[in-house]
Amino acid sequence: MYRIKVDQLTPGMVLAQDVLIPRTGVTLLPSSTLLTMEMIRRIGHFNIEEVYISVSEKSDKEKSEEILAPVMAETHQKSVAVVEKFITNFDHYEESDYTKAVLDGLVGDLLEQVKMDPDLLLNLTHMKSYDNYLFSHAVNVSIISILIGEQLGYSEEELNLLGIAGLLHDIGMLKISVATWKKTGTLTPTEYKEVRKHPTYGAQYLADMHEDIKAVAAEHHERHDGSGYPKGLKGSEINYKARIVAIADVYDACISERLYRERLTPQEAIRLIVGDQKCFDPQLLKIFLLTMAVYPIGSYVRLNTGEVGRVIRVVKNQPFRPVLSLYYDRKGELLPEPIRLDLSQDVNHLLYIKETLPPTDHKKVAKQVAETFPNSI
Amino acid sequence: MLVGRSYCLITELGNFSNVEGGFFLKAEFINPFVGAAYDVIKKVAGIEATKGELAVANSPIRGDEVNVVIGVTGDLTGQIIFCLSEATAQVFSSKMLMNLTTDSLNELAKSAICEMGNMILGNAVTALSERGYFCTLTPPALLIGKEVVVSTQVLKFLVIPLETKYGRLTINVALQENRG
Repeated sequence: MYRIKVDQLTPGMVLAQDVLIPRTGVTLLPSSTLLTMEMIRRIGHFNIEEVYISVSEKSDKEKSEEILAPVMAETHQKSVAVVEKFITNFDHYEESDYTKAVLDGLVGDLLEQVKMDPDLLLNLTHMKSYDNYLFSHAVNVSIISILIGEQLGYSEEELNLLGIAGLLHDIGMLKISVATWKKTGTLTPTEYKEVRKHPTYGAQYLADMHEDIKAVAAEHHERHDGSGYPKGLKGSEINYKARIVAIADVYDACISERLYRERLTPQEAIRLIVGDQKCFDPQLLKIFLLTMAVYPIGSYVRLNTGEVGRVIRVVKNQPFRPVLSLYYDRKGELLPEPIRLDLSQDVNHLLYIKETLPPTDHKKVAKQVAETFPNSI
Repeated sequence: MLVGRSYCLITELGNFSNVEGGFFLKAEFINPFVGAAYDVIKKVAGIEATKGELAVANSPIRGDEVNVVIGVTGDLTGQIIFCLSEATAQVFSSKMLMNLTTDSLNELAKSAICEMGNMILGNAVTALSERGYFCTLTPPALLIGKEVVVSTQVLKFLVIPLETKYGRLTINVALQENRG
């Protein structure tokens, strides 16, 4: 802790002691507040000359994040690799202790990571290339489904089942020719018809597995209003876990870069899904929105004060007030270092998210941020 | 547009100029709240609000079905209380939640309404700081139920009713100047 003149304060410093409004005893800013430009202006306004600043500007949470993030990134990649190996060898699949052990191990890892830090995991699902789409998609759908399951209060056993079902939901794609599912242009009617068979194929592959796992493969393209395929099932006719995976599947597909279209921003994807109450279970949509929040992880947002940052954490039951990593100041200039800002903290209630950046800006900003701050989560 | 609105406010406020005590009536304090509410309602719901008749009332404040209380400290101290009916709250929260319809005021809808109050005050406080008044806010508290009565430290408060096609939003301003 050290004392510093107010005119030497810079955004990103952390208060070591409460700052009081002179002669009133009213707390202007409590200790451990991370200072923003606006706050420094306010301190100056009250003719406060000096304040106490923490020497370490990083919270314990941030420190553990720095250690945890690369570990989780590695585990995530490993999961994708294991899934790739598992799925591509699936032709030779037989119900055996070995495959069961592999799947349980995989989902066990994911569940553990969800418990450790779901937000870091979600950050990972937003960074990927399309070369191994089928496999990273399987892992991401599994993760997002597990998160929805957690919000629903699922038991460990149910979460495990849901996780495996998420991993294997698209397994029927193996029967579709690679040329078709890697195609960049519009599918011909014949190809389209073929693709629509993948849920049926999937259920055939998984015939010996748990009822729910089979049902998820068979019914994850069924839709609430009966407009889905292959059977055109409606509402409660669709397996509940398949309804969960359907939402996770569409979300991950929307935010992924594919050969044939641009990816949507996370918020566009949420908006698209939540706005589609014909296709998805309306009750589950609320759970989904509560899980992912109104400004989901990976969104670039502009505050009412003009700063621009990325959502890096969602705060439970505060869908409008996530934790941001700020990259641009109010004039639109890149900051020397990212500033972490927790909008759910009392002291930050003067700030709010004014808008999410439109897709073109999102892309431009994401690129610049990745180049300037390669280590930012 | 904005000028017209401010002018209208100031003349109406003239009628209250004989109210004494800590209660403030300066238009420069009140216009930021009205302006912020217009802007936020327009941004959130895409509709125009019109100002109803201003009134001065005595504490306690009688609430509507849904009430958001936000504390203000700094150069101005007191509470701002937004009151609206449940039906109106549901429309606004649905707009904030990507048009998700909520059959009742669930957790999501509640956080949406609080955030709306926060946005209005965030804008208002920013506008106030441009006029030299610096304040901070406490996080919103939500009170539900028609029988809600809020006693404020400031004995007289200003009632600003805003009419929209989705129903009325009343802003109760109970603030006093902390200096001078």
